[in-house]
Amino acid sequence: MKNLKKALLLAGLLGMAAAYMAADDSTKRYIAHIGKQVPYLPYRYFI
Amino acid sequence: MADYDAIVIGAGLGGLTTASLLSKNGFKTLVLEQSDIIGGCCSTYESQGYRFDVGASIVEILHPMERFFELMGKRREDYIELLPCDPIYSFITEDGRRFSYPTDVDETTKVIESIAPEDVEGWKKFASLGFEMIDRMMDAMMLSPMKTVPEAMRMVIKNPEAMRFLPLLMRTHQAVTRKYYRNPVIQSSVAFQSYFAGAPPEIGSGIFGFIALTEHLGIYYPRGGMISIPEGLARAGEEHGLEVRTGRKVEKILLDGRKARGVLLEDGSEITSDIVVSNVNAKVAYLKMVGPENLPRWAVKAISSYRHSMPCPMIYVGLDTKPDLEAHHTVVTGSIEAMNKVWNDYYTKDLIPSTAMSLICWPTEADPSLAPEGHHILNFLCNAPAPYAPLGDNWDRIKGWYREEAIKSLERVVLPGIRDHITYMEVSTPLDFERRLLSPQGSIYGLFSDMTSLALFRPHARSRVVDGLYLTGSSTHLGGGVPTTIASGIITSGYILKDRG
Ligand SMILES: Cc1cc2nc3c(=O)[nH]c(=O)nc-3n(C[C@H](O)[C@H](O)[C@H](O)COP(=O)(O)OP(=O)(O)OC[C@H]3O[C@@H](n4cnc5c(N)ncnc54)[C@H](O)[C@@H]3O)c2cc1C
Repeated sequence: MKNLKKALLLAGLLGMAAAYMAADDSTKRYIAHIGKQVPYLPYRYFI
Repeated sequence: MADYDAIVIGAGLGGLTTASLLSKNGFKTLVLEQSDIIGGCCSTYESQGYRFDVGASIVEILHPMERFFELMGKRREDYIELLPCDPIYSFITEDGRRFSYPTDVDETTKVIESIAPEDVEGWKKFASLGFEMIDRMMDAMMLSPMKTVPEAMRMVIKNPEAMRFLPLLMRTHQAVTRKYYRNPVIQSSVAFQSYFAGAPPEIGSGIFGFIALTEHLGIYYPRGGMISIPEGLARAGEEHGLEVRTGRKVEKILLDGRKARGVLLEDGSEITSDIVVSNVNAKVAYLKMVGPENLPRWAVKAISSYRHSMPCPMIYVGLDTKPDLEAHHTVVTGSIEAMNKVWNDYYTKDLIPSTAMSLICWPTEADPSLAPEGHHILNFLCNAPAPYAPLGDNWDRIKGWYREEAIKSLERVVLPGIRDHITYMEVSTPLDFERRLLSPQGSIYGLFSDMTSLALFRPHARSRVVDGLYLTGSSTHLGGGVPTTIASGIITSGYILKDRG
């Protein structure tokens, strides 16, 4: 069960990486932009 | 006993809306404005017989303004006269092709058909979904508080159709534009509106694409200049005892522990009140006026994480002739890629873009009284957005160069030979905006707006860290814009009335 979870997580991450690699430059920039902001969202929610 | 029931810092649209509504509800309210004129970004100043708008040049989505006057028990027409502007805007491609979008939807269909028959279907679908959204959701979207999960859920439960439109918030402006239009000219003639929300089409939220459709319900210019809007809001409040003092700069928000107890002015005087409403940039309110030493560390991290919205130099021109323009607004841009390039290759690298991306506004088309007889005025944004510190340089030093570039660009693409008719010209650089309005880095819409800094993720109108402190204006939910900041004032006053009414 634990191994299955790990495999699913890995597959998910690989899928996301593959989608990112296949995206055009503009989408990559958008993802990078949003990615940089995500760590702040929990703080922003509470202010 | 405190001096006032509520003190509002800043006489911008959000501040005046909040203050007037509080006055109407019996609060003894004082507005303190550092400038000599009210209105902030939505104001008008006079020079050599011309009346120029400081920033905002048009109003659309009248809903929040009408709601304000309804809540005040007054008629908007008695306070602000709005002149309709039709066509909505005229569009010029970089290679000089021109066309205009009329207010009328069927007439717009004909314009699109003449340029790109393949996009008529897309336009009809876009308009039908957009108008449905506007019809059903305007009140919920514009006037509901939306900062917490329970507030957002309440909004969705009351308006289940919101679920159909919310995904648009997640999509980019360019994705939405490309979904409905195939022709690159039509795409850029609508995608530039992303910059009206302060972001390039590849970052701006797709929902703004639909909001822009509201222009087809009418766009308006207030007689007497944009200042007529804040003047109307203030007058409505003054009839209920509202006091507005100009030339009064607030330095600090006074605290008793984590509780607001008034303000300290630049001249050293103190005015007390248990309710302090900030209409200034939220970063300034928390990090300068409250002070990081009075905030928990997480709150300092939260507020520091926001970026300011983009600055834009504005150019004010007086003319001794009627300009050869077709509409109140004329827009010049290149393709969607070119618009993104302005952001990625220039703005974020502290460079002034060299492309002809401009917005020319012609207020005397609607209201000739703004200039001496036979004269006209233009307010325009050119080679924008431009950075606050171009390559670390200072705008005071490059102002003359910029002015010359702007005129060349205006002559090349829009109005050949206009130089000979210029009787007055002034440039307000990002540095001038910062000095004039104390807006940090000359930001024109408060904080940057994208899906990570709107709604649940924008500073709350009711502070969660300082009791008695409330925020309003472009740094709060809905962001910059005339209707959105009036809406924010309605939301903020709603919180105060709920808490203290
Ligand atoms: C160049 C430009 C063009 C625009 N065009 C449009 C448009 O066409 N249509 C549209 O809908 N919107 C437009 N906008 C946006 C719109 O004008 C603003 O979002 C809106 O007016 C901001 O209102 P606000 O309530 O946030 O207050 P602000 O306008 O930000 O006003 C804040 C006020 O606080 C005062 N203040 C600051 N610090 C202090 C202090 N320490 N003490 C006392 N007072 C202080 C300032 O002087 C100012 O008057 C434009 C903005 C700009 C700058």
